[in-house]
Amino acid sequence: MSNKSRIPSAPITINWTLNFSCNFSCKHCYSRVEKMAELSTEQIKEIMRKVAVYKVPFINYGGGEPLLRKDLFELTEYATSLGYNVSMNTNAFLMNEENARKAKEAGFKTVGISIDSTKPEVHDKFRNTPGSHKRAIEAAKFLREQGVRLTVSSVICRINYQEFDLLVEQAKSMGAEQISLHNYKCTGMGMTNKDELDLSPEEWCDFYMKAIELRAKETGIRISMDDPITASIHKAPEQTIVKGSTCGKLSLNIRANGDVTPCGFIPVVIGNLLVDDLKDLWDGSKVLERMRNKEPKEKCKTCKHYEDCLGGCSARAYAMTGDFNSPDPHCWVEAKK
Amino acid sequence: MKNIRRNPDVVWREEEDAREEVIGAMERGEDASCEGTVLLIVSGMMHQLNILGAEIWKLLDGRDESAVVDEIAKAFEMDRPTIESDVHNFLTDLADRGWILYEQ
Repeated sequence: MSNKSRIPSAPITINWTLNFSCNFSCKHCYSRVEKMAELSTEQIKEIMRKVAVYKVPFINYGGGEPLLRKDLFELTEYATSLGYNVSMNTNAFLMNEENARKAKEAGFKTVGISIDSTKPEVHDKFRNTPGSHKRAIEAAKFLREQGVRLTVSSVICRINYQEFDLLVEQAKSMGAEQISLHNYKCTGMGMTNKDELDLSPEEWCDFYMKAIELRAKETGIRISMDDPITASIHKAPEQTIVKGSTCGKLSLNIRANGDVTPCGFIPVVIGNLLVDDLKDLWDGSKVLERMRNKEPKEKCKTCKHYEDCLGGCSARAYAMTGDFNSPDPHCWVEAKK
Repeated sequence: MKNIRRNPDVVWREEEDAREEVIGAMERGEDASCEGTVLLIVSGMMHQLNILGAEIWKLLDGRDESAVVDEIAKAFEMDRPTIESDVHNFLTDLADRGWILYEQ
């Protein structure tokens, strides 16, 4: 085994927003305010072929709601034939028995269902869609009956941070292999509703302390928390091959029109894959270079954790200050006097 | 000896740029044993194999342990007992992790 840090030759994961259209209007949604033309089926396949040259192993569809694209299963079957491992994040409202069967046949490796509370009325209000909790639970059953591997995604915020352990139990009862406890991002509607939903740095610290403790003893499901600021309370596992945000180091984001951004929460376009080559962007983008070589600012300058967290989440810093190098606004570590 | 295959649930990619750099460093007599040249992704976690591990990994396509040792002996200037020991220990580690499968 090797433990040396190095930016890989190409992204490991392409997060792909096939469409910004959605049947929900969630309070935290980063993309609800986005409007743009969507690529055609053939344009998407062309990009898939271009990216496959660089052996990118994973495509994960986000959105918008992927199931609104009528060619979703055709695209997935095509991507699978090119060697990709395809997954998606869905609100699951449209994941009925027929679509679960199609998901299996198309080759989805995993399907991630978004669910933010164990209380149906709380989840439905947060997602602005009555009956959405019930449909998400049913969708999990349909997918498991088809043998599709399941994950659950929960955005941690004020409605659920004190009951995340119940979210874990709920995900286990749904048959999920993993639950991702995503940190709240102040992008799009997430910025609009920040004061209502985001936690204070002290509350984030308290949440992560408890979640890391639960993760260490939980054996029935993997608990994933991809947030670099946890480096100040938990040493990263040996197999972490890059430090800080993984965006632009292990992954890239494709928007509905083919534009490429470092991640879905950073609206800085570095190219478009209809005309640009992935490797040229990966190796030559000045934006990615800045994200990979951050300089500590303000309290990060004297913080002993900086070498492990590299300033935390670049998307949060950029959203709040317009500067990747600013300290993560969720960070609870006090400035050294 | 049983034939050995990579577990298909383990997603992997050879980092060709890194491999070329490591081979260049080895030719100059430098120690590059900490450099990863193959990435493995298992259950959402990422791991790297150094050049020796990577070359062994790529050979795990259904051949048995002695055949792997033969190929590694051709590629690396090491004495055979050392190669046999390194290959065996590495395969044992991979099997313990569930990343390879022994065919019955």
